[in-house]
Amino acid sequence: MPSSTVENYLKAIYIGTNSLEPPQRLLPMGQLASALSVTPGTATTMVKTLAESGLVEYEPYAGVALTKAGQRLAALVTRRHRLIELFLVQVMGYSWDEVHDEAEQLEHTVSERLVDRMDAMLGRPETDPHGDPIPNAEGMVKPQKKVQTLLTCPLDTTVTVTRVIDQDKDFLRFIEQHNLKPGEAILVEERDAAADSVRVRGSHDRRLTLGTRAASKVLVQAVHVLLLVLLSVPAFAQATQKPAPPPRTALSGYMDFHFNNPEFSDAQLDFHRFVLLVTHSFSERIRFVGELELEHAVVEGLEEEGELELEQAYVDFLLSRSFNVRAGMMLMPIGIINERHEPPVYYGVERPFNDTVIIPTTWFEAGAGVHGELGRGWRYRAFVVAPLDAAEFTAEEGIREGRQKGAEANVGRPAVTGRLEYVAIRGLTLGASGWSGRSGFQFRPVFDVPVSLAEFDGRYSRRRLELRGQFSQVWIDNAGQLNEALALRVGVNPNIARVLRGFYGEAGYRAISNASYGEVGAFVRYENFDTQFRMPGGYVGLPEFDRDAWVVGATYWPDPDVAIKFDYSLVRSRSSVVQAPDSFNVGLGWWF
Amino acid sequence: MVVLMRIALTSLALLAAAASGPSDVVSGFSRTGAQEPQVVEITAERFSFNPSEIRVKAGTRLEIRLTSEDTMHGFHILGTDIDLELPKRGRGVASVTFQPTAGRYTFECSRLCGAGHAFMRGVIIATE
Repeated sequence: MPSSTVENYLKAIYIGTNSLEPPQRLLPMGQLASALSVTPGTATTMVKTLAESGLVEYEPYAGVALTKAGQRLAALVTRRHRLIELFLVQVMGYSWDEVHDEAEQLEHTVSERLVDRMDAMLGRPETDPHGDPIPNAEGMVKPQKKVQTLLTCPLDTTVTVTRVIDQDKDFLRFIEQHNLKPGEAILVEERDAAADSVRVRGSHDRRLTLGTRAASKVLVQAVHVLLLVLLSVPAFAQATQKPAPPPRTALSGYMDFHFNNPEFSDAQLDFHRFVLLVTHSFSERIRFVGELELEHAVVEGLEEEGELELEQAYVDFLLSRSFNVRAGMMLMPIGIINERHEPPVYYGVERPFNDTVIIPTTWFEAGAGVHGELGRGWRYRAFVVAPLDAAEFTAEEGIREGRQKGAEANVGRPAVTGRLEYVAIRGLTLGASGWSGRSGFQFRPVFDVPVSLAEFDGRYSRRRLELRGQFSQVWIDNAGQLNEALALRVGVNPNIARVLRGFYGEAGYRAISNASYGEVGAFVRYENFDTQFRMPGGYVGLPEFDRDAWVVGATYWPDPDVAIKFDYSLVRSRSSVVQAPDSFNVGLGWWF
Repeated sequence: MVVLMRIALTSLALLAAAASGPSDVVSGFSRTGAQEPQVVEITAERFSFNPSEIRVKAGTRLEIRLTSEDTMHGFHILGTDIDLELPKRGRGVASVTFQPTAGRYTFECSRLCGAGHAFMRGVIIATE
């Protein structure tokens, strides 16, 4: 019986010569040495020994080929190797990326009888898990159909993966992860020579862009037209069209449709938000972004049914990575939700209470500022914007109604806002935001109402898990004087606090994740929010505005951009008289 | 039958490992070697790339693999033809090879992905 070294040399020459393009017959020694990870000198010495044994034919400076006897021995050791691989996968439950090393050991030790029993047990298979042909007991291989690689097969034509010719574990895992295993039907959409890449489309319309090196290792065969019909893969039955390059002007948007059923009142259907985004690139360095939002569907005269708001309309001058200038209508860089509020990206039908009554999302103002990345995961924004109007502050919703929203906004004494973010750790975003401005410009005689806000947040997401937390506090200086001035103006004491505070923590987990049917996630959130946290001297906080809430629910994403949400919101206040209503909510939100 | 085969194969594996010791011979012609590109994995989500700063030695052949955690994003390296479309969450990976000469290469999201789309930028820094 030949030694394992001899068998490995014969097998390497067998595989190497089978990959040669005719009329080349001899395998270059350098190629053989490289495959065996030995020096050319070592390979030559061994090949000369094999030639003396009559197993190979060696031509100095030309290469090596197997003789008939060598061919048979090599085919049999290859047969053992490939059958063992298949047996380990099919019978013993190994994954296909871990069988090669096991088979390398076992191929030299198993008997022909054992191999034949395995062969019978597996049903006389013709290929191993990687699609490599398995020689029969006589060392013969069934004639192979003509195959091509992803680099040579026709474009926009469905092909079946027949073989993967790299046994590297990482590569095989990559292939498995992206559904490119033998038997998978795929289609090459585009080859980009400049980018050295190949884009393929697989089942469920999955797209994958591969480097040409990886693409050269995936062998494919054309799928018969009849088979294609039988497979009935809708994605491949469609006429294929190459995607156009991204347009200079792009339209996008999101929508939020809600069913709210609160305690003590009738249920409502509310088309809460219809938002259109438009962007335009004047050049790579000058961009426009606009966001127009219709809230609650109808805007009609003076009736307060809905709102039509220009939430963003700015031009970015992208000067460098660390310093860029923005001017126009901008989102305030505060908290998790204000800048990141597309319905599929947060749990819950409604936004968190904290992001309504403490941070008045969606908070947008006219102004200008700078933003950029400082390196090592640090990012910043710093804007000068129109201040809040203290004359509109309330006890229940704090500073929310004080937003000027860029409508002939008073900027006699502009406010400043900023955010520092740390995103260097994969999945983790930590942020700190601030806002400071003087908000008493409506009052005569003039007096100052300095308002400031500090906010800290963290968000961690990894695969199926998502955790969030946010803390925010608002200070309204001269709140006592503000209450007196407003009481004189409207005849009622508004009872505005000097400090508002809120925080929440949320955990969500995508329990079901299926490529065909989408994902399902459940979440729980605890919120505490008090718009009467600290009162000015002589004023007593209203306990009904010191609230906390538990919100539990689930989201189903049939598509990553479509979210069907359910939640139950349990709200409690410190008041024994005024009860905060619980509510059951259903939402349908989408982004395109 | 299957149990017997498992026992037999496991025993053989142990015997073979004990008998042969470390082997200096491996077979296969397409094993990865020193020429493999350096793999860089980047995740994209509204509104950041992670990592957003990649430092390499000039001339390093990079294989950049990109996955999205949410919607469809783009990956455009300014000043080059590289402009990939990242499939949505759970729908695959986009990858591209890039061999930078010394310099800074800004990349950005090239598919409108939401209110903070303009913040999605990063840089590849290739040094001598």
